[in-house]
Amino acid sequence: MRAVNPEAEGRVYPDVKFVVEPDRVAAFRAVFGQADGVPPTFLTAAEFAVLPPIIGDPALDLDFTKVLHGGQEYELVRPLREGESLTVRPRIESVRVRAGTGFVVIAMDLFDAAGEPVARTRSTMIERGAS
Amino acid sequence: MTRRLDDVAVGQELPELRRVVNRDDVKAYADAGGDQNPLHQSDEFARGVGFDGVIAHGMFTMGHMAACVVAWAGDAAAVSAISAQFRATVSMGQEIVAGGRVRAIDAETRTATLELWVSSEREGETEWPIKRGEATVHLT
Repeated sequence: MRAVNPEAEGRVYPDVKFVVEPDRVAAFRAVFGQADGVPPTFLTAAEFAVLPPIIGDPALDLDFTKVLHGGQEYELVRPLREGESLTVRPRIESVRVRAGTGFVVIAMDLFDAAGEPVARTRSTMIERGAS
Repeated sequence: MTRRLDDVAVGQELPELRRVVNRDDVKAYADAGGDQNPLHQSDEFARGVGFDGVIAHGMFTMGHMAACVVAWAGDAAAVSAISAQFRATVSMGQEIVAGGRVRAIDAETRTATLELWVSSEREGETEWPIKRGEATVHLT
Protein backbone atom coordinates (compact mmCIF):
# COMPACT_ATOMS: atom_id res chain seq x y z
CA MET A 1 0.00 0.00 0.00
CA ARG A 2 1.48 3.36 -0.99
CA ALA A 3 1.46 6.43 1.24
CA VAL A 4 3.07 9.81 1.40
CA ASN A 5 6.86 9.71 1.77
CA PRO A 6 8.10 10.54 5.34
CA GLU A 7 11.55 11.28 3.95
CA ALA A 8 10.18 14.48 2.45
CA GLU A 9 10.13 15.97 5.96
CA GLY A 10 12.38 19.01 6.14
CA ARG A 11 12.31 19.75 2.42
CA VAL A 12 12.51 23.45 1.60
CA TYR A 13 11.26 25.10 -1.56
CA PRO A 14 12.37 28.24 -3.37
CA ASP A 15 11.04 31.60 -2.19
CA VAL A 16 8.05 32.94 -4.10
CA LYS A 17 6.85 36.53 -4.40
CA PHE A 18 3.27 37.26 -3.43
CA VAL A 19 1.59 40.62 -3.94
CA VAL A 20 -1.36 41.50 -1.70
CA GLU A 21 -3.48 42.67 -4.61
CA PRO A 22 -6.22 45.08 -3.48
CA ASP A 23 -8.76 43.70 -6.00
CA ARG A 24 -8.23 40.20 -4.72
CA VAL A 25 -8.49 41.31 -1.10
CA ALA A 26 -11.75 43.07 -1.97
CA ALA A 27 -13.10 39.89 -3.62
CA PHE A 28 -12.10 37.87 -0.55
CA ARG A 29 -13.78 40.39 1.78
CA ALA A 30 -16.94 40.27 -0.35
CA VAL A 31 -17.22 36.49 0.08
CA PHE A 32 -17.30 36.92 3.85
CA GLY A 33 -19.25 40.16 4.05
CA GLN A 34 -16.33 42.14 5.44
CA ALA A 35 -16.32 45.93 5.12
CA ASP A 36 -12.62 46.73 5.33
CA GLY A 37 -9.12 45.55 6.16
CA VAL A 38 -7.33 42.40 5.06
CA PRO A 39 -9.11 39.35 6.53
CA PRO A 40 -6.63 37.26 8.56
CA THR A 41 -7.35 34.12 6.53
CA PHE A 42 -6.43 35.94 3.31
CA LEU A 43 -3.01 34.40 4.05
CA THR A 44 -4.41 31.33 2.29
CA ALA A 45 -3.96 33.18 -1.02
CA ALA A 46 -0.22 33.44 -0.32
CA GLU A 47 -0.11 29.73 0.51
CA PHE A 48 -1.84 28.82 -2.74
CA ALA A 49 0.75 30.81 -4.67
CA VAL A 50 3.17 28.10 -3.52
CA LEU A 51 1.18 24.96 -2.67
CA PRO A 52 0.53 23.38 -6.10
CA PRO A 53 4.20 22.48 -6.80
CA ILE A 54 4.60 21.19 -3.23
CA ILE A 55 1.46 19.06 -3.36
CA GLY A 56 2.67 17.80 -6.75
CA ASP A 57 6.28 17.21 -5.62
CA PRO A 58 7.20 13.62 -6.64
CA ALA A 59 9.51 13.44 -3.59
CA LEU A 60 6.48 13.88 -1.32
CA ASP A 61 4.32 11.51 -3.39
CA LEU A 62 1.00 12.87 -2.15
CA ASP A 63 -2.16 11.50 -3.82
CA PHE A 64 -4.02 14.75 -4.44
CA THR A 65 -7.36 12.97 -5.03
CA LYS A 66 -7.23 11.69 -1.42
CA VAL A 67 -6.13 14.90 0.27
CA LEU A 68 -8.28 16.71 2.83
CA HIS A 69 -7.41 19.86 4.74
CA GLY A 70 -7.02 18.74 8.36
CA GLY A 71 -6.10 21.97 10.07
CA GLN A 72 -4.79 25.47 9.61
CA GLU A 73 -2.86 27.94 11.75
CA TYR A 74 -2.01 31.56 11.06
CA GLU A 75 0.14 33.89 13.11
CA LEU A 76 0.51 37.52 12.12
CA VAL A 77 3.32 39.74 13.36
CA ARG A 78 1.34 42.58 11.82
CA PRO A 79 -1.66 42.82 9.47
CA LEU A 80 -1.00 42.45 5.74
CA ARG A 81 -1.05 45.72 3.82
CA GLU A 82 -2.89 46.01 0.55
CA GLY A 83 -0.53 46.45 -2.38
CA GLU A 84 2.61 45.22 -0.59
CA SER A 85 4.91 42.57 -2.01
CA LEU A 86 5.83 39.66 0.27
CA THR A 87 8.33 36.83 0.07
CA VAL A 88 6.88 33.41 0.88
CA ARG A 89 9.33 30.76 2.12
CA PRO A 90 7.75 27.27 2.27
CA ARG A 91 8.97 24.04 3.85
CA ILE A 92 7.64 20.64 4.81
CA GLU A 93 7.62 20.78 8.58
CA SER A 94 6.61 17.19 9.21
CA VAL A 95 5.36 14.03 7.53
CA ARG A 96 3.73 11.22 9.50
CA VAL A 97 1.97 8.06 8.41
CA ARG A 98 -0.41 6.36 10.84
CA ALA A 99 -2.41 3.28 9.83
CA GLY A 100 -2.07 4.15 6.15
CA THR A 101 -3.20 7.76 6.62
CA GLY A 102 -0.64 10.45 5.85
CA PHE A 103 -0.32 13.73 7.76
CA VAL A 104 1.75 16.44 6.09
CA VAL A 105 2.41 19.81 7.74
CA ILE A 106 3.47 22.54 5.33
CA ALA A 107 4.77 25.70 7.01
CA MET A 108 5.51 29.03 5.38
CA ASP A 109 7.26 32.15 6.61
CA LEU A 110 6.33 35.47 5.03
CA PHE A 111 8.65 38.47 4.93
CA ASP A 112 8.10 42.02 3.75
CA ALA A 113 10.26 44.05 1.35
CA ALA A 114 12.54 45.07 4.25
CA GLY A 115 13.08 41.40 5.15
CA GLU A 116 11.04 41.69 8.35
CA PRO A 117 8.85 38.70 9.31
CA VAL A 118 5.15 39.38 8.71
CA ALA A 119 3.39 36.06 9.23
CA ARG A 120 3.69 32.33 9.58
CA THR A 121 1.27 29.75 8.21
CA ARG A 122 0.95 26.08 9.08
CA SER A 123 -1.27 23.82 7.04
CA THR A 124 -2.04 20.16 7.83
CA MET A 125 -2.94 17.99 4.83
CA ILE A 126 -4.45 14.57 5.44
CA GLU A 127 -4.07 11.88 2.80
CA ARG A 128 -6.86 9.43 3.40
CA GLY A 129 -5.73 5.82 3.55
CA ALA A 130 -6.47 3.18 0.94
CA SER A 131 -9.07 1.41 3.14
CA MET B 1 -13.83 50.35 16.19
CA THR B 2 -11.60 47.89 17.96
CA ARG B 3 -13.10 46.27 21.03
CA ARG B 4 -12.01 47.67 24.38
CA LEU B 5 -10.34 45.63 27.09
CA ASP B 6 -12.91 46.98 29.56
CA ASP B 7 -15.72 45.46 27.50
CA VAL B 8 -14.35 41.92 27.56
CA ALA B 9 -14.76 39.23 30.23
CA VAL B 10 -13.67 35.61 30.42
CA GLY B 11 -16.57 33.40 29.37
CA GLN B 12 -18.17 36.11 27.23
CA GLU B 13 -19.75 34.61 24.11
CA LEU B 14 -19.30 35.95 20.61
CA PRO B 15 -22.54 36.59 18.71
CA GLU B 16 -23.21 33.60 16.43
CA LEU B 17 -22.75 34.08 12.71
CA ARG B 18 -24.85 31.89 10.39
CA ARG B 19 -24.78 31.33 6.66
CA VAL B 20 -26.12 28.83 4.18
CA VAL B 21 -23.31 27.64 1.94
CA ASN B 22 -24.01 27.74 -1.78
CA ARG B 23 -22.15 26.93 -4.97
CA ASP B 24 -21.77 30.53 -6.18
CA ASP B 25 -20.16 31.66 -2.92
CA VAL B 26 -17.82 28.66 -2.90
CA LYS B 27 -16.79 29.44 -6.50
CA ALA B 28 -16.23 33.11 -5.57
CA TYR B 29 -14.11 31.90 -2.67
CA ALA B 30 -12.05 29.61 -4.97
CA ASP B 31 -11.29 32.57 -7.25
CA ALA B 32 -10.37 34.94 -4.40
CA GLY B 33 -8.45 32.41 -2.31
CA GLY B 34 -6.79 30.55 -5.17
CA ASP B 35 -7.79 26.97 -4.30
CA GLN B 36 -9.27 25.63 -7.54
CA ASN B 37 -9.40 22.00 -6.41
CA PRO B 38 -12.28 20.45 -8.46
CA LEU B 39 -13.53 18.79 -5.26
CA HIS B 40 -15.14 22.17 -4.53
CA GLN B 41 -16.57 22.78 -8.01
CA SER B 42 -17.39 19.52 -9.79
CA ASP B 43 -19.98 17.08 -8.44
CA GLU B 44 -18.64 14.46 -10.80
CA PHE B 45 -15.11 14.82 -9.43
CA ALA B 46 -16.37 14.88 -5.83
CA ARG B 47 -18.38 11.66 -6.35
CA GLY B 48 -15.35 10.06 -7.96
CA VAL B 49 -13.38 10.54 -4.72
CA GLY B 50 -16.13 9.33 -2.41
CA PHE B 51 -18.33 12.35 -1.58
CA ASP B 52 -22.03 12.86 -2.37
CA GLY B 53 -21.21 16.02 -4.29
CA VAL B 54 -19.21 19.23 -4.08
CA ILE B 55 -18.03 20.21 -0.58
CA ALA B 56 -16.92 23.64 0.63
CA HIS B 57 -13.23 24.38 1.17
CA GLY B 58 -12.16 24.04 4.78
CA MET B 59 -10.87 27.58 4.30
CA PHE B 60 -14.34 28.73 3.30
CA THR B 61 -15.61 27.56 6.69
CA MET B 62 -12.58 29.05 8.45
CA GLY B 63 -13.08 32.34 6.59
CA HIS B 64 -16.63 32.37 7.97
CA MET B 65 -15.30 31.69 11.46
CA ALA B 66 -12.80 34.55 11.01
CA ALA B 67 -15.66 36.85 9.97
CA CYS B 68 -17.37 36.04 13.28
CA VAL B 69 -14.15 37.00 15.13
CA VAL B 70 -13.62 40.20 13.12
CA ALA B 71 -17.24 41.27 13.76
CA TRP B 72 -16.63 40.85 17.49
CA ALA B 73 -13.13 42.40 17.46
CA GLY B 74 -14.30 45.38 15.41
CA ASP B 75 -11.25 45.35 13.17
CA ALA B 76 -9.59 42.70 10.95
CA ALA B 77 -6.20 44.12 11.95
CA ALA B 78 -6.85 43.24 15.61
CA VAL B 79 -6.62 39.50 14.90
CA SER B 80 -2.99 38.39 15.36
CA ALA B 81 -3.53 34.62 15.29
CA ILE B 82 -6.25 32.24 14.19
CA SER B 83 -6.35 28.48 13.85
CA ALA B 84 -8.81 25.67 13.19
CA GLN B 85 -9.14 21.92 12.96
CA PHE B 86 -11.48 20.66 10.25
CA ARG B 87 -13.63 17.79 11.51
CA ALA B 88 -16.59 17.55 9.13
CA THR B 89 -17.26 18.40 5.51
CA VAL B 90 -19.86 20.99 4.46
CA SER B 91 -22.18 20.33 1.52
CA MET B 92 -24.01 22.83 -0.67
CA GLY B 93 -27.21 24.07 0.96
CA GLN B 94 -25.96 23.29 4.44
CA GLU B 95 -26.15 25.97 7.14
CA ILE B 96 -23.03 26.60 9.19
CA VAL B 97 -22.94 28.50 12.50
CA ALA B 98 -19.75 30.11 13.78
CA GLY B 99 -19.44 30.84 17.47
CA GLY B 100 -16.94 31.28 20.24
CA ARG B 101 -16.16 32.54 23.71
CA VAL B 102 -13.40 34.37 25.53
CA ARG B 103 -11.09 31.87 27.17
CA ALA B 104 -8.49 34.23 28.64
CA ILE B 105 -7.56 37.88 28.87
CA ASP B 106 -4.07 39.30 29.27
CA ALA B 107 -4.43 42.87 30.55
CA GLU B 108 -0.68 43.43 30.27
CA THR B 109 -0.53 42.79 26.52
CA ARG B 110 -4.18 43.83 26.01
CA THR B 111 -5.06 40.60 24.23
CA ALA B 112 -7.92 38.13 24.45
CA THR B 113 -7.66 34.45 23.58
CA LEU B 114 -10.83 33.07 22.04
CA GLU B 115 -12.01 29.51 21.62
CA LEU B 116 -13.99 29.08 18.43
CA TRP B 117 -16.08 26.55 16.57
CA VAL B 118 -18.33 26.07 13.58
CA SER B 119 -21.29 23.73 13.99
CA SER B 120 -23.89 22.45 11.58
CA GLU B 121 -27.07 20.39 11.85
CA ARG B 122 -27.28 17.55 9.37
CA GLU B 123 -30.03 14.93 9.43
CA GLY B 124 -30.80 15.74 13.06
CA GLU B 125 -27.20 15.39 14.19
CA THR B 126 -24.83 18.20 15.21
CA GLU B 127 -21.60 18.10 13.23
CA TRP B 128 -18.48 20.20 13.80
CA PRO B 129 -16.93 21.44 10.55
CA ILE B 130 -14.48 23.26 12.87
CA LYS B 131 -13.49 22.21 16.37
CA ARG B 132 -10.79 23.60 18.61
CA GLY B 133 -10.61 26.88 16.73
CA GLU B 134 -8.60 29.56 18.44
CA ALA B 135 -7.77 33.22 17.91
CA THR B 136 -5.76 35.96 19.56
CA VAL B 137 -7.28 39.43 19.41
CA HIS B 138 -5.73 42.76 20.36
CA LEU B 139 -7.92 45.07 22.45
CA THR B 140 -7.67 48.81 22.92
